[in-house]
Amino acid sequence: MTALQVSHVSKSFPGVRALHDVSMTMTAGSVHALLGENGAGKSTLIKIVTGICKPDSGTVSMNGATVRFANPRQAAAGGLGVVHQERNLVTRFSVGENILLDRLGNRALSLVDYTSLHREAEKWLKLLDLDVDPRTIVSRLSVAQMQLVEIGKALSLQSRVLLLDEPTASLTPNESKVLFRVLRRLRDDGVAIGFVSHKLEEVFDICDRVTVLRDGRNACDSAGLSQLDRNDVVQMMIGRAERITTRAPRPGTDAAPYLELRGYGSGAGHRDINLTVRPGEIVGLYGLVGAGRSELARAILGLSKQVAGEVRVLGRAVHISSVAQALHHHGIGYVSEDRKAEGLILMHSVLANGGITIWRKLANALGLLRDTTIAARVGPVLTRLEVKTPSVHQITGNLSGGNQQKVSVAKWLAAGVRLLIIDEPSVGIDIKTKAYLHDLIHELAEQGTAILLITSDMPEMIDVADRILVMDGYRIKGEVGNDRSYDPVSRAIMGLIHDRAAA
Amino acid sequence: MAHAGADRPIPPGSAPRRMSSGMRLLLGNEFGLAVLILLTVAIFALTLDGFTSPFSIYTIGRQIGIDTMIGLAMMAVIVTGGLDLSVGAIGVCSAMFFGWLMQVMGVPVLVAVPLAVLFGAGLGFVNGFTVVMSGVHSFIITLASMSIFFGVMIFLTRAAAFNGLPPQVQAFGKMRVLQGISPLLLIAVAVCAALVVFYRYSTLGRQMLAAGANARAAELSGIRTGRVIVACHMLTGLLAAIAGLMVTARTGAAVPSMAGQLGQDWLLPAFLAPVLGGTLLSGGRVSVIGTLLGATFINIMTSGLLLMRVGEFWILAFLGVMLLIAVLADRTRQIFLTSRGMI
Repeated sequence: MTALQVSHVSKSFPGVRALHDVSMTMTAGSVHALLGENGAGKSTLIKIVTGICKPDSGTVSMNGATVRFANPRQAAAGGLGVVHQERNLVTRFSVGENILLDRLGNRALSLVDYTSLHREAEKWLKLLDLDVDPRTIVSRLSVAQMQLVEIGKALSLQSRVLLLDEPTASLTPNESKVLFRVLRRLRDDGVAIGFVSHKLEEVFDICDRVTVLRDGRNACDSAGLSQLDRNDVVQMMIGRAERITTRAPRPGTDAAPYLELRGYGSGAGHRDINLTVRPGEIVGLYGLVGAGRSELARAILGLSKQVAGEVRVLGRAVHISSVAQALHHHGIGYVSEDRKAEGLILMHSVLANGGITIWRKLANALGLLRDTTIAARVGPVLTRLEVKTPSVHQITGNLSGGNQQKVSVAKWLAAGVRLLIIDEPSVGIDIKTKAYLHDLIHELAEQGTAILLITSDMPEMIDVADRILVMDGYRIKGEVGNDRSYDPVSRAIMGLIHDRAAA
Repeated sequence: MAHAGADRPIPPGSAPRRMSSGMRLLLGNEFGLAVLILLTVAIFALTLDGFTSPFSIYTIGRQIGIDTMIGLAMMAVIVTGGLDLSVGAIGVCSAMFFGWLMQVMGVPVLVAVPLAVLFGAGLGFVNGFTVVMSGVHSFIITLASMSIFFGVMIFLTRAAAFNGLPPQVQAFGKMRVLQGISPLLLIAVAVCAALVVFYRYSTLGRQMLAAGANARAAELSGIRTGRVIVACHMLTGLLAAIAGLMVTARTGAAVPSMAGQLGQDWLLPAFLAPVLGGTLLSGGRVSVIGTLLGATFINIMTSGLLLMRVGEFWILAFLGVMLLIAVLADRTRQIFLTSRGMI
């Protein structure tokens, strides 16, 4: 039975044709993947379905009747639930209050009946296999639990169509498994589930059908996934076959370490960290979310206090107390995992973001500098990284996710850092840019930059890193040499992590 | 790289092209304000006797200079997404310090001016340092410091004015240059020019904008945001002190009540001018020229309404309504920016 049908929808924004004659048919009791690179039109399609945008032409229908939702509230009332990538929970409210947030009481001044509210919420939590008390404050939950609460919130509106936008982006593999179990049960109950993800493994794991968008058009419309293989899907997404890793393991280097931590402990809670990164080496730091990897990066940059051990840069013991010192004195740069909140100043221009690290260096004796001076240094880096922007004065927030990520890398290349810490380089990035960034990381290493790579994406880790340190509970659990053979290396890594559970 | 869409690589050596300059012009408040100013001036000039008299033009211009200065002082801290309720108190305290230096200590005018301005920057430092160290919002900190600065000043001066200032001070306040323009207005315009250069071309100015737009991203890009925010507050104090000296020159004396109780009379122009001018209340974007235009607009309206014999209290109400309209415009701008993914 057709639950949601999108027929021949087109939508233009000033200067951009976002969707062109796009169709998609979601059936009750099936999980439907919506795939496409960044900028392919997935978000626009979701916005049109949920009533945030109006289509220029074409229709959306649910259960056979044409619908025209004016806003997401109406869509929700019509049985269409959406779980967005960003969290939309009130973190200081309880789980139950969040699930039933828009039904707390009938009138503005009526009292909330907490007993029945929590009983009602408990029903949804049980359905989701979420073993938490509905009175728990949301901020105490893990990211994965919050995700499930959001799904519960959508379901509690009697949604028969559920759209999930990158639901696993911040989940660990185990948490994803729990989510998938829930999704399968919902599917068996007859819910039509739409699933947006960049992780193809997951798509093949859980989805039955797939719609692929490329440049705002259907590359395929609701095809059965069983007749496709991974390569077919990738080909539809990017218009060519995925490049399979052929990178040979790189020879080790015996250069003197650029950065060395010995028995290091931080105010953030790290203990006994031993770590060396040599010039020209790509050291991977793998771990699950919450293992303390990003926190270690921040501690190295001086954002947490050093409480034990030694930090050596080029053999000399140092105390780094600020990012400014890390950058200007020790040549250390950090590409944040959270591009929007920490990596970039989205309301400022590409030039301002690319040059922010070198303003101090370029200013004249009066502390003055001109755009042209900065552009002369930043321009070549932007060109080298193939950043697509109409001009360097473009507002960074207007660029696509992949191009934004390139800008957040560009500022460190412009500064000529000797050690680059890269945190989750390919979150929310399309396959083409991802492959490009991997090449770039290798190229930088070849030129002698020391690289510390943090990622939760196992294929990425095995494709890029020379050797992999495994972190768990703010400690280094061990090291795995990387010969690019996926199964043994990933098994060794997971072995080191689960070592804790066994002990 | 065949790629459909609006993006394309930067063609080497291409002239920097601004994104839809028409949109930018309309988005900013400067254009609208300039039109509004021309319209009101035209209407008042045609309908009100005496609006265009040399004396009226002179006094309006002088007051525009002072209000611009007050607005710039607030703008310098709005950049960080914060505010400074103590601008008035700092202005008055610096003016009283200025008077004390000359009348009691016998310091010559030309030495007293820079000392008083530095004094204002010092009070700004106290604000900034406390804000950064405590991590408390500047609203609370400067609400406290407003009372402290003003209270200590009243205690030290016994609330008495300094009336025996060197005659040059008052002469400067009454001076007419270039056929009837107050030098106070010229000073304000010169400070505007300096600030335009500062925010556009100086490292510190750029760092202030970066820290104001996204403090975490700025910090992680190697900017010492704490110091930069302290510098913003110092700049506010410095500009507020200049405004205080300008009022002293106009009155010919340093009077504790020149900005009302606790310096609160300055707060309305302090917020109105920059917000009307298009400075984003959440920080990261300034409009120096907009602040000048904002101060110009409110003074032309005020003078026109006064000439129409509208009561002073109605004018205050009117300015309050203007502030609300400006804040709504600011919200609209933010929503627009957010919807385009720029914040």
